[in-house]
Amino acid sequence: MRNWRLATIVGGLALTGLAGLTLTPAAAQAPKSGGTINIMLREDLSQGFAIHETATISVVFPASPCFNNLVFFDPLKSVESVDTIIGELAERWSWQDNYRNLVFFLRKDVKWHDGKPFTSRDVKFTFDMLREAPEAQAKLRINPRKDWYANVEAVEAPDPHSVVFRLKRPQPSLLAMLASGYTPVYAAHVPPASYRTGCIGTGPFKLKEWRKGEFVEYVKNPDYFVKGRPYLDGLKYIVIVERGTRTAALQAGQLDVAMPGETTKTAAEQLKKALPQLVVTPVATAVTDNIIMNAKKPPFDNPKVRRAVSYAIDRRALIQAVHQGAAVLGAAMAPRPYGVWGLLDKDLAALPGYGKTEDMKARARTLLAEAGITPQNPLRVEMATRAIAIYVDMASFVINELKQVGIEASLKQIETAQWHAMATRGEYQIGANLTGLGVDDPDPNFYENYACGSPRNYSQYCNEPVMKLFDQQSQELDPKKRLALVAAIQKKLEEDAARPILDHRIDYFTHWPHVKNMIPHHNIYNFGRMQEVWRDK
Amino acid sequence: MKTYLVQRLAIAVLTLFGMSVVIFALLRLAPGDIVDILFSTAGFVDPAARTEIMRELGLDKPIWIQYLDWLRQIFSGDLGKSYRYDLPAWEIIRPLLPVTVELAALSMIVAVVLGVPTGVISAVRQDTPLDYVLRVLSLAGLSMPSFWLGMVIILGLVAWLGWIPPVTYVSPGENFQLHAAQFLLPALAVGYRSSALIMRITRSSLLEVLREDYVRTAWAKGQTGRAVIWRHALKNAMLPVITVIGIEFAFLIGGLVVTEQVFNLPGLARFLVQAILWRDYPIVQNLVMLIAIVVILSNLAVDLLYGVLDPRVRYAG
Repeated sequence: MRNWRLATIVGGLALTGLAGLTLTPAAAQAPKSGGTINIMLREDLSQGFAIHETATISVVFPASPCFNNLVFFDPLKSVESVDTIIGELAERWSWQDNYRNLVFFLRKDVKWHDGKPFTSRDVKFTFDMLREAPEAQAKLRINPRKDWYANVEAVEAPDPHSVVFRLKRPQPSLLAMLASGYTPVYAAHVPPASYRTGCIGTGPFKLKEWRKGEFVEYVKNPDYFVKGRPYLDGLKYIVIVERGTRTAALQAGQLDVAMPGETTKTAAEQLKKALPQLVVTPVATAVTDNIIMNAKKPPFDNPKVRRAVSYAIDRRALIQAVHQGAAVLGAAMAPRPYGVWGLLDKDLAALPGYGKTEDMKARARTLLAEAGITPQNPLRVEMATRAIAIYVDMASFVINELKQVGIEASLKQIETAQWHAMATRGEYQIGANLTGLGVDDPDPNFYENYACGSPRNYSQYCNEPVMKLFDQQSQELDPKKRLALVAAIQKKLEEDAARPILDHRIDYFTHWPHVKNMIPHHNIYNFGRMQEVWRDK
Repeated sequence: MKTYLVQRLAIAVLTLFGMSVVIFALLRLAPGDIVDILFSTAGFVDPAARTEIMRELGLDKPIWIQYLDWLRQIFSGDLGKSYRYDLPAWEIIRPLLPVTVELAALSMIVAVVLGVPTGVISAVRQDTPLDYVLRVLSLAGLSMPSFWLGMVIILGLVAWLGWIPPVTYVSPGENFQLHAAQFLLPALAVGYRSSALIMRITRSSLLEVLREDYVRTAWAKGQTGRAVIWRHALKNAMLPVITVIGIEFAFLIGGLVVTEQVFNLPGLARFLVQAILWRDYPIVQNLVMLIAIVVILSNLAVDLLYGVLDPRVRYAG
């Protein structure tokens, strides 16, 4: 136990050290205007700029410069919390009626990229559409975050420059969800479908050209409401599908900035060796490796079998073997310092799979024996995973771990086209999965991934007392009490093996030193605006 | 000749029809569809929304009606709309064509310029050290996949020069030097492999012809070595070489996938793979048909060239 704690501390210090060594003192320099930068994209935009219809970094990152939110996480602070939220389209905001009404006072000097004025009508249009209100003027083709707004009773626009979100019950987390990169405001005078092919936003950059499969190019929005911003004249997101070519392009200076989540520890080390001046910042990605087990079908409808699986997997060995150390331990919420809701080390140590390897394996065998699974009567299952290397590597490791406790799992690779459909329909026994969290907040995480009936609750885990705890923490106004509740829920979820979390992935975000104010957040989805980024060259 | 052409074109039409059935069926046999992929980017599936999108895209219709709709579109000159980009398929395919054609043509030029002369030298200097060296080089060319060679070139350039060819397309009008660098390096990677094949075919074919009586007669008449080899022998040895060049060119139009990917060239082949992954049927179906047409026309061109090169060849009507 002491060893792994020591390893965690040493690892943390090493990460901090690497960050400290490579971060440049951008704040000390006066920003300069002008220039353009080239940014890496690993694939073309899957749904154009229609952020509200997707849940992928490949859209939200390159589309973000076109948009604004009501509020946004401060681009210059890497750790996100309610305290780091700043206004964008909202000049200020106010919780009223004991957190049942959230009132936004909007800026009056904002124009859409086509010159039309921005008003509260646009805000009402967007959020009525997102929550699928009966009075909504438009409907999204795919609406992945409808559940985020389940507690919103009405969105009112009493005048052109103020908006009121009326809630069914207090929900302090709503502000954090509104600050996510996934929550831009759409224009009411533009059909939502048009965002799949173009972009009319209010953001710091206007779309110049999207050459399919090649690049997305933006130019500075001269009418941007924040005076003096953006600093850059333009942005170019270049699609490079081949990983080796992406790295070579960064090394050759054809790209100035890597894509969030795309630089492995090994690649970062190689790049630093070749070009010591590159800025490499280890940050959390808000993506977890986890195990999904179908709680509606045997054998994983038996909580003992699920817990045995969780006990059997040595998380620390997985981090070393699969990620070469580029991941950290944690439960449902990101651990500190990457997030604000994570469990403390002492709490983690008591959870299934976090103790001494041999003790954990022995516990797993005992639980399996109690469930009637013995070496004479072994459990044979299919381990489903998406047919992508980052999934398959993890699944292969887990299969080996399960074998050591008497579970014979065979790997079943599922094509991307089928993966989510299969998981949503529960057509699997056990699976190795990755989950991205749009915002470091308990509400979206718990309601999306663990709530009864949620389409993203692939394990189909449903525990009414835990659901009540979800609601209880969601409306708790005292931060300390809420933190304690969230910790208790995380422990319960891990003890129930609802979706055992194996690790939180770390990205070695890389850019050239002439790119300033490019501060990666511990969540890859929320720092794509590029408003504060400038070029020192 | 005219009757032969008409016959070949009729066969081509039948072949294309067969191809259309095969492409259409194979695509639909692959698991998943565009709607699954769209939902995949959202991380869940909503059955009601799924049904609605299927209806919007016409994927809820019986398969045979979908097939007939596609044929109708082809005959009316409308290639349909990309499911992924919501744009006319032709609008997406058109800018990709010149990139792939240029790369394939350059690769073939590299292959012929390297392959034919080395094949001739190897045949004329049979069993000499030079022949052995050239044969080893050709064997290496056949053994090295062009994408691997491409990646080695990219990594070598960035390691030694800190430079790689542009990763976004540069037109010749924009900057001819960069354009040339962008295309010549992949053309070398692809052309080297094809040149190896052409070299071996040229060598074996020429060796066979050099043993013919009419070549011996030419030597006996006191003709110069250059005249015997280039005018009498090589011309007759070229038939199989032309066949290989035709097949290679047709193959390259669809087979440049990985090379285009490694050099990040926005060509047909790279785009085709992405379209397959997305189950973007209108793009895939029409691109594959386009490639099929190129293959058929290349074969026809090769057959017609036989007659030009060898007067003994007659086209039966």
